Amino acid sequence: MFDDPHIGFILAAYLAGAFVFLGLLLWVIMDYNKQSRLLNALEASGTRRRSESEQK
Amino acid sequence: MNLAFANPGRFLAFIRIAIPWLTACGAILALIGFYAAFAFAPADYQQGETVRIMYIHVPSAWLSTACYGIMALSSIGTLVWRHPLADASAKSIAPIGAAFTFLCLLTGSLWGKPMWGTWWVWDARLTSVLVLFLIYCGILALWNAYEDPARAGRAAAVMTLVGAINLPIVKFSVDWWNTLHQPASVFRMGGPTIDKSMLWSLLIVAVGMTLLMMALHFAAMRNEILRRRVRTLSILAANIDLKRNV
Repeated sequence: MFDDPHIGFILAAYLAGAFVFLGLLLWVIMDYNKQSRLLNALEASGTRRRSESEQK
Repeated sequence: MNLAFANPGRFLAFIRIAIPWLTACGAILALIGFYAAFAFAPADYQQGETVRIMYIHVPSAWLSTACYGIMALSSIGTLVWRHPLADASAKSIAPIGAAFTFLCLLTGSLWGKPMWGTWWVWDARLTSVLVLFLIYCGILALWNAYEDPARAGRAAAVMTLVGAINLPIVKFSVDWWNTLHQPASVFRMGGPTIDKSMLWSLLIVAVGMTLLMMALHFAAMRNEILRRRVRTLSILAANIDLKRNV
């Protein structure tokens, strides 16, 4: 297969697929870390939603 | 899905368990499928080895329309029931759908150059998929155009449902018009026309990639729920500061 004249196109397609999946994975992980950090900082400052304050 | 999971708190507890399982099963199935596509599936008698591109192009194409279908159903949930989870679902699936549509266009182009002799033709299938990608981009822009997520959600939901008219056009474009793109060869009346030696690998990859898409969707929904909690708490904190200063 690797001596096929179109091997470059095949490899490029799979590399593109890997980049897209990795990109989505990175986006989800980085966004999760950012939102968790912001939420923790707000909760640490004592800000609570009304429903959570009533539970405590 | 069970209505109990319509509560964001319960949904978060559910996806905490579901995401690792979906990711693991999806990755294993996709890897098995890709291995079978290269090790066991034969080269095509016309396309030769270039047919291997189909094992990533076709699932990407299916997922590009499947993601739009999920977004359209979520948009109905937003407009009819104004459910926050429907809103989060519609918003979080949009970038994933756009990414799969982009991958579909790119891999199709990489297949088209050696097989058709051109990167692109303005035939009905290719053009309708490009329109699908542009609709995704428009919806993403709309989500970012409003500060209030509820207003953005309603505007994006209307645009999503209007854009859903493109889904049957994408699907049936190869039947309604004379296209360079080949007609449907898997989901068609009379059964698939692909040989089983190729079909199995393709279906295993497709199931694996679908599970990975679901894992990404759930993870992005969790991020969206957290983002809304951050927004609510930021407004509360700002109000508390304002009262102190007055």
